[in-house]
Amino acid sequence: MKDLALVVKLTVMEKKDILLSIIFGFVTGIAAVGLFAASGYLISKAALAPPLYALIILTASVKMLGFIRAFSRYGERYFSHRATFTMLSNLRVSFFEKLEPLAPGIFQKFRSGDLLARIVGDVETLQNFFLRVFYPPIVLIMVFLSTILFTSVYSVHVAFILLAGLLLTTFIVPAFFALKQGKVDRKVRERRGNLSTEVTEFLYGYRDLKIYQQLEDKEAQLKQVSQAYIEEQQQEGVHHIFSQSANLMVSLIVSWSVLGVGAYLVADGQMDGIFLAMFLMISLTVFENATPMAAFPIHLQDSRQAANRLFSVVGKDEDAVDETVDDMQEWVAVGQAPAIKMTDVSFSFPEEIRQTIKNVSLSLPAGSKTAIVGPSGSGKSTLLQLLLKISVVDQGEIRMGDIAMNHIPQESIWEKANVVLQKNHFFYGSLRENLQLAKDTASDDELEAVLNKVQLEYLSLSDQVLEKGENLSGGEKQRLAIARVMLKDAPLWILDEPTSSVDALTEDHIYRHLFDQAEDDTLVLVSHRLTGMEKMDQIIVMEEGSIVEAGTYSVLMDKQGYFYELKQIEQSVFMS
Amino acid sequence: MAQLKEMAFAQKNRMIQLVIYALFSGLAIIGQAYFIVTIVDRVFLQKQSFQEVVPALIGLLVVLIARATFNYLSGRTGVKMASKVKGDLRQSLLNKFSSNPVQASIKGQSGQKVSVMMDAVDEIDSYFSSYIPQLIQTSIIPIIILITAFTQHMYTGLIILVTAPFIPIFMIIVGGKTKEKSEEQLDKMAAFSGRFLDTLQGLTTLKLFGKANRQKEAIRKSSLDFRDATMEVLKVAFVSTLMMELISMLSIGLIALELSLRLIVFQNISFFTAFFMLILAPEFYVALKELGNAFHTGRGSMGAAQKIQDELAESEQDVSWGEASLNTQGNPPQLELKAAGFSYGEDAFALTNISAEIRPYEQIAIVGKSGAGKTTLLHVIAGLVPLSDGEILINGKSRSSFSERDWFDQLSYISQDPYLFSGTIADNIAIGATQAASREEIEQAAEKAGIAKLIRSLENGYDTAIGEAGRGLSGGEKQRVAIARAFLKKPSIIVFDEPTTGLDLQTERILQRSIKELGEASTVITVAHRLHTIANADNIYFLQAGKLHAVGTHEALMNDVAAYRDMVTVQQGGHTQ
Repeated sequence: MKDLALVVKLTVMEKKDILLSIIFGFVTGIAAVGLFAASGYLISKAALAPPLYALIILTASVKMLGFIRAFSRYGERYFSHRATFTMLSNLRVSFFEKLEPLAPGIFQKFRSGDLLARIVGDVETLQNFFLRVFYPPIVLIMVFLSTILFTSVYSVHVAFILLAGLLLTTFIVPAFFALKQGKVDRKVRERRGNLSTEVTEFLYGYRDLKIYQQLEDKEAQLKQVSQAYIEEQQQEGVHHIFSQSANLMVSLIVSWSVLGVGAYLVADGQMDGIFLAMFLMISLTVFENATPMAAFPIHLQDSRQAANRLFSVVGKDEDAVDETVDDMQEWVAVGQAPAIKMTDVSFSFPEEIRQTIKNVSLSLPAGSKTAIVGPSGSGKSTLLQLLLKISVVDQGEIRMGDIAMNHIPQESIWEKANVVLQKNHFFYGSLRENLQLAKDTASDDELEAVLNKVQLEYLSLSDQVLEKGENLSGGEKQRLAIARVMLKDAPLWILDEPTSSVDALTEDHIYRHLFDQAEDDTLVLVSHRLTGMEKMDQIIVMEEGSIVEAGTYSVLMDKQGYFYELKQIEQSVFMS
Repeated sequence: MAQLKEMAFAQKNRMIQLVIYALFSGLAIIGQAYFIVTIVDRVFLQKQSFQEVVPALIGLLVVLIARATFNYLSGRTGVKMASKVKGDLRQSLLNKFSSNPVQASIKGQSGQKVSVMMDAVDEIDSYFSSYIPQLIQTSIIPIIILITAFTQHMYTGLIILVTAPFIPIFMIIVGGKTKEKSEEQLDKMAAFSGRFLDTLQGLTTLKLFGKANRQKEAIRKSSLDFRDATMEVLKVAFVSTLMMELISMLSIGLIALELSLRLIVFQNISFFTAFFMLILAPEFYVALKELGNAFHTGRGSMGAAQKIQDELAESEQDVSWGEASLNTQGNPPQLELKAAGFSYGEDAFALTNISAEIRPYEQIAIVGKSGAGKTTLLHVIAGLVPLSDGEILINGKSRSSFSERDWFDQLSYISQDPYLFSGTIADNIAIGATQAASREEIEQAAEKAGIAKLIRSLENGYDTAIGEAGRGLSGGEKQRVAIARAFLKKPSIIVFDEPTTGLDLQTERILQRSIKELGEASTVITVAHRLHTIANADNIYFLQAGKLHAVGTHEALMNDVAAYRDMVTVQQGGHTQ
């Protein structure tokens, strides 16, 4: 509920649109009641052969109410949708404000790639919050209370019946079904999860299933899980339709009671018969708006879940890197290459069965060039994340110069680092904008020069880049990422397989420029290839989270150990 | 959408049920109006006592309960129809996919297929659970009302008949307008709506460049621009509702006017009839309006139906098998490819005219540049993709005459990225066995594959659950599980896609040793990336652009085939391209 309260807070920021939605909604509802009340009265009056002018006035007012209703409904819809979309905008901004300080560490915790898509989806789901949860009950109750007030002038009894009906259809019946709803929902989600696993395994694991003759079993299993899911969905659907029909029945019975009690009062002489038709029409109309309340718990539940999921992503403090140490020190290393020292560092990802980094100690002297090599999954990239404080060590210590890492704010490390990750993001916009991310003030000449260095001179600065750079090839993206950090020109280089999709010749060319520029800087390179290792000051070989060997190229080759053997294998592997 | 409608009509019984429920709903609406009017008329004008209207009140109660009940029954039938259709569609998709998705996974489309099977099928729901029941109600209820109106007071019927067609006409006009408007705004909307996701995905990059805080305003702006573009489209849709309300109101107004004139001025109609008409008329328009709403919900289903249709229409050929049993008595069979060919479709990559003979216990290395068709050839040999030309003989008889089970019982496939299923490690090894394997056999296989030590180090040992696709295991460990599967199976033919890079030394050694050991009892066909594998092979198949360029030992090819010599020399020179 706390999360939904946040959404409410963001919603009520749009005071004007909300107010207009409610006013127009109220006018729509009350005009409809008025319209049918007047027409019920009109027909009764007409039966008593009144003077014509009375009838004309009545007819005119029926018409007017009709027009008012139609136009105010338009207004209600217009303003309520506008309020909703503005609210979504506020929500996105507010969510971003909360997420921003936690990134990029938070992405380590949620490794599944669909986290972000889920966030976007949850934000979209919340558009129903204002439209179906927040303001309709307000309008409904206002219309009801006004109607009841109006009715009570003519008959207290009828007013009471309407009040009881309001309580039943708006609160009691929906609440009753909401209780059951939760259980059904949970089951549907669980079954959906099962089916999703089965389908994924069936399609991705098809080859193995086929060869191991498990396809038929898997098919049967998938079919069974699918049926179980569909059955649960069916129960949910029937539950929805049942609660909606039940609410409809209750509202019809309330109207029936109005007619019954009214008829009794008229027959008893306590009420003028001319109002009987009017009351009935009022009752039928006013409850038309109440029937959809049966769906209210569903929308409330959806909104609550979406809000919970959304804010659970950013809600927990443990996700944030602890920056509360009192004596935070800006890491003053402007224009000066840092020395880095790791002592007995261990780290494991949450929910992972094994440690990712085990007791690693290493030293990167100022201005040194280090390569980290090893098989995939040996912890190379994780080591870089620790250096960048994207993740924080469980044990041990990292020092930048003479300051311990936990005294340095993340931003201050990033400011001084040129980072190329395995996946680098490019934004929707021009190539120029994407490069200027690294340096706002860079001139076109400067940008073109750096494109030249990475051999992308065939691209134009005004070329359009699509989302995630999907119109660029893997190699082009890597080269652009390198161009971007070349522009940034900070004294610490952290490069994670920056050229894995670039051919050897181009790689060679790029590295020459890169090492030129980084001559006095500290550089760490995770490399998938063992070529060009001769020029590194030190090579660190990792396996299963530990360092198995370290030294210069010639030392490691002479030693004929792990690195030597990897090198032998690489030389015998046909990359083609 | 024609197919969806067909699927609905295929469930004849349920459609008939829906029609019956709609008929009863219509009658209930008429009954409701009738009893209401009767009660008011008697009490108000005829001054009858309360007791005299009690039967009518009871009648009204029954009719009201019936109305709610038929509403429920109709909705429930819709939900059941949806269940049936979803089940059937998933079944057809499953049949389709089980016939040949190896090609799909080669084309990298597995993800898309998962989404069709999950989401697209679910999206079909609302068409059957809301649209179809409402469609039937709207086709029947207004007609019942119209007939009643004509029998009771013809002029009301006429007014309805004249005004009602304006509603669909306006809906068509406005619908076209909406479409135009939304197409106009489409690019804008797509650009703005993607911006939020784009920013979130790029957050790491933004932070590393210290530019994240600036994005807040960009998100706000693109969200608001999105709002404005959407409102443009919505406004048109809202106008359509407005027009519909105005039309229905106008005609109800006309009806009321005509009724009251007759009632007062001409006095040639009873209060009963006038009130009856006045209550019925709005119900007519309500039914029309609800179809409009249901149509919007149903429309989402149509896109989904198209996706499913496309998936089902894609023609993929199946590998054909026969009935004959393949009895090899533990010895590898003789394999022969005769002018075998395979194509991914017109203008796509193809393997052509591959002829080769693979003798029992032979060690074959398939070699060639990337894109030469090495993995495809492996799939062809393994019987995972259908031949488009030629045939494959096993011990001299066409493979398509043997039973699929017998063939795969002989075969192990060790891919570069073996798939691990969610379950325990023991389950994942046991999947290799042709019969139920004992824990002891599983442990032996794990021992041979060099993964036993690792498994024992885990808290739950062999019963450790591993996630979907083997999350939590490294690439090398997955390879070793695949090797363990092969040791358990003891196949007579092994097809092996040798990993290119990224393995730890231990796995490298285990792979070499294991393949050697497995090869003692079987034929091994390897897509080879390592020089020693190639050098040790009995025969090398050198592929170039989908053709078998040369066959021979390493020495022979080095001597005789220039292209092969070039490739090996370049490799040894350290250049990889």
